[in-house]
Amino acid sequence: MRKAAANIIMILIIVISFLSCTKVVNFNLNSSSPRLIVESSISDQPSSCYVKLTQSVNYNEPNTFPAVIGATVVLYDETGKYYSLTESSPGVYTLPSFRGVPGKAYSLSISTSGKTYVATSRMPDAVNIDTLYQEKLLYGPYRGGGELKYVVVNYHDPVGRKNYYRFVEKINKVVQSAIYLDDDLLKDGNLISQNIVRADTSLKTRDSVTIFLQTIDKNVFNYFTQLRDVTDSYGGQTATPANPISNFSGGVLGYFSAYAVRSKSIIIR
Amino acid sequence: MNLRIFVLPFFLLPGILAFPQAKFTLSGYVKDGKTGEELIGTSIAVKELTATGTYSNQYGFYSLTIPAGNYNITYQYIGYEPKTITVSLQQNMKQEIALNEKVSELKEVIITGEKKNDNVVKNEMGVEKLALREIKNVPVLMGEKDVLKTLQLTPGVKSAGEGNSGFYVRGGAADQNLILLDEATVYNSSHLLGFFSVFNSDAIKDVTLYKGSQPAEYGGRLSSVLDIRMKDGNDKDFGVEGGIGVISSRLKVEGPIVKNKGSFTISGRRTYADLFLLLSRDTTLRKSRLYFYDLNAKGNYEIDKNNRVFISGYFGKDVAGFASRFGIDWGNGTGTIRWNHLFSDRLFSNTSMIFSNYDYRIHLSFGSTKGLIISRIRNWNLKQDYQYFINSKSTLKFGFNSIYHTIIPGVVTIESNSRISELHLTNKHAWENAVYISDEYRPFNSLSLEFGMRFSSFSIVGPGSFYSYDASGNTIDTINYSNGKFVKTYFNPQPRVSVNYIISDRSSVKASYARNAQDLHLLSNSTSGDPTDSWISSSNNVKSEIADQVALGYFRNFKENIYEFSAEVYFKYLQNQIDYKDGAEVTLNENAESQLLFGTGRAYGLELFLKKKYGKLNGWIGYTLARSEKRIEGINNNKYYPAKQDRTHDISIVGIYELSKKWTISATWVYYTGNAVTFPSGKYMINGLVTNYYTERNGYRMPAYHRLDAGVTWLNVKTSKFESSFNFSCYNVYGRENAYSIDFQQDPKDATKTQAVQTTLFRWVPSVTYNIKF
Repeated sequence: MRKAAANIIMILIIVISFLSCTKVVNFNLNSSSPRLIVESSISDQPSSCYVKLTQSVNYNEPNTFPAVIGATVVLYDETGKYYSLTESSPGVYTLPSFRGVPGKAYSLSISTSGKTYVATSRMPDAVNIDTLYQEKLLYGPYRGGGELKYVVVNYHDPVGRKNYYRFVEKINKVVQSAIYLDDDLLKDGNLISQNIVRADTSLKTRDSVTIFLQTIDKNVFNYFTQLRDVTDSYGGQTATPANPISNFSGGVLGYFSAYAVRSKSIIIR
Repeated sequence: MNLRIFVLPFFLLPGILAFPQAKFTLSGYVKDGKTGEELIGTSIAVKELTATGTYSNQYGFYSLTIPAGNYNITYQYIGYEPKTITVSLQQNMKQEIALNEKVSELKEVIITGEKKNDNVVKNEMGVEKLALREIKNVPVLMGEKDVLKTLQLTPGVKSAGEGNSGFYVRGGAADQNLILLDEATVYNSSHLLGFFSVFNSDAIKDVTLYKGSQPAEYGGRLSSVLDIRMKDGNDKDFGVEGGIGVISSRLKVEGPIVKNKGSFTISGRRTYADLFLLLSRDTTLRKSRLYFYDLNAKGNYEIDKNNRVFISGYFGKDVAGFASRFGIDWGNGTGTIRWNHLFSDRLFSNTSMIFSNYDYRIHLSFGSTKGLIISRIRNWNLKQDYQYFINSKSTLKFGFNSIYHTIIPGVVTIESNSRISELHLTNKHAWENAVYISDEYRPFNSLSLEFGMRFSSFSIVGPGSFYSYDASGNTIDTINYSNGKFVKTYFNPQPRVSVNYIISDRSSVKASYARNAQDLHLLSNSTSGDPTDSWISSSNNVKSEIADQVALGYFRNFKENIYEFSAEVYFKYLQNQIDYKDGAEVTLNENAESQLLFGTGRAYGLELFLKKKYGKLNGWIGYTLARSEKRIEGINNNKYYPAKQDRTHDISIVGIYELSKKWTISATWVYYTGNAVTFPSGKYMINGLVTNYYTERNGYRMPAYHRLDAGVTWLNVKTSKFESSFNFSCYNVYGRENAYSIDFQQDPKDATKTQAVQTTLFRWVPSVTYNIKF
């Protein structure tokens, strides 16, 4: 070295205008022919059988989804007994007072416009919520300080069988659309703590929160996992977004879930 | 009859016995006169024998066997003063050549008649070579000069996205490029999600990209080979070079171990983007980490005239963390030990022991639950190459390599309420072997041929569980193999041929055919490259990917070789291509292979290239018209659809203008058709969620991308002892809002509406770098 390293003159000039920005754009999307959309479930609670039939619309249209009326909707149990649902409001089909039994498989058949679609789901045993309590996070990255309140569900996973869970949160009588899922991978038989937390919304003092713990079957779990992945704006964009795979035959979008459910409520302090 | 059978083989042996006259060999190394670095690809021409000559190889060695006589031999390397020596060749001779760098590029305008027409006469097509000195003035993102970004400005090579160092070659996917650093495979060439490549340009000597017919010594990827060679270090003097930039700094030290016998070089680079986080008022953000570093080191020693050893290594890491809650680090490590041996003046041998590794770790912590995920791919490679310089018309290359791969797809450890559970995906082991032979043969002055054959085998070996799946992805059979048991072996003969017909010293026509096979596949289901993308090997379910490529090119130089023009067309047919099922989950999935679909692909295109290599103004214009499609069983009704990397038009313009000895200005402009993407064609409501309805894979296009970058280099001090310069550059000068992603989502202000939201990453990124050298 001809000159000592001390001769290095370190000058740091920082000129940076780092701009990552978003804007709403107009994008010409193709139109598509309407598809039948099915949202259907039955639980171990009375009058829980609920079927909602709608249609898809083009992307640039408003969010009004036409109800599919006049369909024939029939629920079958394992023994071949069947129950016809009645249309209680346009596109909504129900079966008053009927209650499902855990361990049994149910099939739902929907006939409309000359086509029939069938899905089968087996109702798992219910799992109780041990405790429901609130927690908070010091809230940094998204909103510049503050705290984020959320609830935690504790439950015991039954040993020796595969379990799939879906958590539904109701805040002040409003059922939230966020999808929370868990399975017992790597924690079979454990006491599990599930955080019901979304990065963008905090619970507020005096909020009344009810958590429904649904035990669901594998196909329904897969359906909701894919639904969460295509609707969740926090996850990375997948290179191959696709329609969640339905458990219905015949190419409808949607699901039929037979689930058992337990719940607990809490008032946020 | 008997005589004819006896004589026949001698006619087949190219030229060995054709001349009765005595022949001798002139051989040696070509080096940089100031630093002693070997110069790769120096052209060596014999004035008295037209169209006789050779090039120095990847270690700077050349060998020329010609009839006895007196000759003027000219050595030329771009950016260096050419040197002509007079030899009286009456016996085998060793001649080491030292070439000196040109003091100023400006001089080149005056020297005429010495410009090279290598692009016309060399039997290579679909090859891009970058001299590092060529790229130093090209403006880049945040002032960090980058070989991968500069390569993306050449035809047929496309950026994988905004600011991304990932690239697509001739319609191939990003994992179909074999990226070699001193012969070691680099599995992930990106830092900071692709905004920087792992190649610190201070440490790099030579970059060659083969996008057409790859020489037979390379194999394992379908689309291209990017062969990057590290600098050996100055064996005459100690030197220091450094740079201070907006987000990173670099330092390089080099010098002799024993003067003129051996040298070392060490270079390092670190970014400090996270220093800015300390300025934040947010405590969590202040505790976050975001940086990467690279370390390159190389040493070499000449034991005697016939033996030389090299040892080189690279280590780099990215670290990102969000307080103590979430952390990820990832990086490559490579190591190469090489021994160059001369059996004779005409038989050159290189033996390499090579190691490469890529891994990532994720730490998670949430309440009483802690998680750790580790994934790794590693290989050990023994490689033997021979180069036999038969005579001035023919060079034979042959050799073998043997690679042992170990893939740890994922080990997940979760600690919750003091119970520890572990998920260990089956580790995969594979043994890859290849032998090759190729000959470069020039039967006439106007014709040169290169024919080669690479024969490879890829064996998946136990221990491990291997699954078979039904059409819907359910496991129907599991077979457990014990240690060392062969599960499956794929054999792939890969012929490669290229022909160059030289019409005149200014124009030539070239054609090539090559088959390539690939047995390592990258599963990546994100739109941008992700450190957690996982490599899988071929298996009982995944077959070797195979590509056949034919290419035809016309090469023409104008105005005393000041302008180079080329037009190439290619067609590729690909077998056993991979795509994903709808809703595929490939991350940390033991049954990731059940999420895949297989089919064929085709890619074709036209590449036009006009380059001005000399003068005050130099640069190039490249244009590519191309298509890349896949046909996969189970996607889009089994019809051909555009691959993600399909881009119809791609234009790059690069201009560098030397205003004076102190000031250089430069600009680049790029334009390309947007990637093929999957967007919704409708929407529906389910459980209160407005959900996108998709009708076909890759049925839409992102908006076209274009951008202008500009830079100024000011050489403010230049003495024989010290040099310093400032580089000012601006990325995206006119602030084009290029779409990085478009999300279709609920309008937050109006629940009855949905909207398309475009994210733009970089608008106007100015930067300043201060470089020193002494």
